[in-house]
Amino acid sequence: MEKTIVIVDDSESIREVVGFTLVNAGHKVLSAVDGQDALRYFNGEKIDLVVTDLHMPVMDGISLIKEIRSKDDYKFVPILFLTTESQQARKMEAKDAGATGWIVKPFVPEKLLAAISKVVR
Amino acid sequence: MEQFKKKFLEEANDLINSLEDSLLILEEKPSEKMIIEEVFRVMHSLKGGSSMFGFDKMDAFTHELETVYDLIRNDSLQVSREVLDATLAAVDHLKVLLENGEELSPAEQKNHQLLLSRIHHIISKGESEQNDAGKPNKASELPDNTDSVGITRVYEQVPTYYITVRPHPEIFRNGTNPILLVDELHTLGHCKAYLKKSALPKFDDLDPELCHLAWEVFLATDKTIDDIKDVFIFVEDVCTVIIQKIADVNMLSKSLFVSAIDTFMQSEQATDMKNLEEFIAKTLNSDSSKEDDTIAIRADEAGPIKRLTISNIRVSSDKLDDLMNLVSELVTTQASLSLFAENQNNPELMSIAENIEKISRQLRDNTFEICLIPIETIIIRFKRLVRDLSNELNKEIQFVAEGTETELDKSIIDGLSEPLMHIFRNAIDHGIESADDRLARGKPRQGKIVLKSYYSGTNVYIQIKDDGKGIDVEKIRQKAIARGFISADANLSYKELLNLVFLPGFSTAAKITEVSGRGVGLDVVVKKISDIRGDVEIESQLGVGTTITIKLPLTLSIIDGLLVKIDKTHFVLPLASVDKCFELPLEKIRNAFNNKVVLDGKQVPLVNLRNEFDIHENTPKVQQIIQVNHDEVKVGLSVDIVLGEYQAVLKPLGRMFKDLEIVSGATILGDGTIALVLDPARIINTFDRETLNRREKLYRDLGSNKQQLVTLKELIQ
Repeated sequence: MEKTIVIVDDSESIREVVGFTLVNAGHKVLSAVDGQDALRYFNGEKIDLVVTDLHMPVMDGISLIKEIRSKDDYKFVPILFLTTESQQARKMEAKDAGATGWIVKPFVPEKLLAAISKVVR
Repeated sequence: MEQFKKKFLEEANDLINSLEDSLLILEEKPSEKMIIEEVFRVMHSLKGGSSMFGFDKMDAFTHELETVYDLIRNDSLQVSREVLDATLAAVDHLKVLLENGEELSPAEQKNHQLLLSRIHHIISKGESEQNDAGKPNKASELPDNTDSVGITRVYEQVPTYYITVRPHPEIFRNGTNPILLVDELHTLGHCKAYLKKSALPKFDDLDPELCHLAWEVFLATDKTIDDIKDVFIFVEDVCTVIIQKIADVNMLSKSLFVSAIDTFMQSEQATDMKNLEEFIAKTLNSDSSKEDDTIAIRADEAGPIKRLTISNIRVSSDKLDDLMNLVSELVTTQASLSLFAENQNNPELMSIAENIEKISRQLRDNTFEICLIPIETIIIRFKRLVRDLSNELNKEIQFVAEGTETELDKSIIDGLSEPLMHIFRNAIDHGIESADDRLARGKPRQGKIVLKSYYSGTNVYIQIKDDGKGIDVEKIRQKAIARGFISADANLSYKELLNLVFLPGFSTAAKITEVSGRGVGLDVVVKKISDIRGDVEIESQLGVGTTITIKLPLTLSIIDGLLVKIDKTHFVLPLASVDKCFELPLEKIRNAFNNKVVLDGKQVPLVNLRNEFDIHENTPKVQQIIQVNHDEVKVGLSVDIVLGEYQAVLKPLGRMFKDLEIVSGATILGDGTIALVLDPARIINTFDRETLNRREKLYRDLGSNKQQLVTLKELIQ
């Protein structure tokens, strides 16, 4: 079933590769360049999943996660964050902020879809 | 993947540029947390991207750099000259890596290794400082969850696990849907899950935000316990999962066992291991017929490709140029349509033509806007230039850029970087004095170069100001006399003397250094700037500094103009410089004293374009005077008829006409005739009385040769 997925990353190539994979998998993708930019999508519309980077200018991923969790409409929306193997501390911080899970970079499309299938159907 | 790769390369280029920028700021403010974070973030993005798209060398390289800035971030390392030099060298190397892909020449390869060892050295320094502060290492890392989508065949001889999944009530709070995890267990092998809802409260007491459910799952799989644990990797903290191996064979293929647990689980009794073992023993003893089971393969058909919602797109500049050309063509064609419609006297056609005119105007404006890019994009290289050159020349120079958000047409920016580079070289090499000299003169030790850009009217101004030693006009005079540019007794104003530096072959630097003074003078700057229809001005005060101001048009190719006519010839005046239109009887113009007429109660010099273009037929009794304005100087231009607004696509006139002072180009009208586009700024410079006086004086000073009766500007072209 088509899902509305918000992808937040300051890197255009990552946004595109994630977006391309998700669109090919039949989803609707909304992209944003940072946390602040992403917030415009959280205006009451249905959002099924958020995939966000952690390191971003303006508003980073952790703040974005907290911000989303503070909204009644999006309290329970699954949020995946992109991370690398070297970021253990950030991972816990993101989890504590309310993230549902994570995707380790670098990833192949199958891995991305696998992670997504864990949190949204 | 290829297309993403390409995108990544573009992006990496941008990242590296911004990195360079940040590093230079960091050099000024080594303890600025924000900048360190920024640098780290860029390194991180580069690393992520390069590993993602298979640039292994770059991946390894940026990984090390990231480590360095991670150490700095955590205060284990200080931002030092060594670190910055290494990083900047590394940035240069990254550019090489990007450009050549992963192919390196032997020399570059050597450099690669050299840089790596330099960075390692820095890292080891930082790490030794860090001591035993628990640094995350690979061993403690959570395994990442990946390969769970593959379909697992069920074998008879695979072990069976009994898994209890007890989500904590608040599991929903981080967006987890536990049923998906139970679902995922089904992908691992032969699986049977039972829902436990004994903890579910009465409907009235139910808090829908809390989870009251639990599952008990039997799973026969060839996967390891760790693989099963991986399913729950996201919920370790919000879900209790117990995995026990209950048999070495696939119990779920035994119908007796399955029916037994079916009944048992329905009863809602608490499951304990004792009961289970009993069932298993019973089943294994009876060893009933085996059933083959396969798991239905979930056909994940790829959905149709849908449009990606992207807030930004990247377009190659060629495409923009094409677009711009097409818009120009459209504007020209639209002019013919309007003219045609007017002649047809068909109201319907008229309204269509008007609509098209409106739309093409909007399209033109939008296209212009797309083609505008901020000056910032070329500033970085100047920052770098200032840093590198000042190091090389042993000078201390601070570079400040103001108004870098000012936008200019892409083609202008392209033409700008070379002359600006030249001006910068001059300022650094000849302008700013060495630190000792500066101190001796009572100036601050550090020199300063300010680049300031701003809008004014339809122009953009770029100023490069240094607080160096300034230009010695006396030297200029002597040099100009020596080179025969002016006669020994010439009486030139300060400004005129200064302007002599723009003449070809003029260079006052006593010694030729590596940096500037390669025989290329400021004349090249003027030439390049006038290629993009700009003007250059210089101001300087000996001992205080030099300011060079470049004035540029906002765009190059299409202008809003006022179409006018003299006899049978059309002319276009840029609307931006038109103040007002007046009517005057011919008599008044002919009798004008000192060529001045009174417009709005003020005396304004009048330029009779008829004289200028040598048109003497059919002079109407009443002349239209268009008052144009440039730099607060007003001039009236006399024409026969004012036809109205016109979008003019500027076409260059070609080399033959390059000496035409007051015409900046031509444009094609709707009926195919050509109109000359007049340049009010030049007209004013040419005909304004005061300017004229100054020029005449300069002629005399330049010598008696009549061939030399040209303006300074012509001299340099």
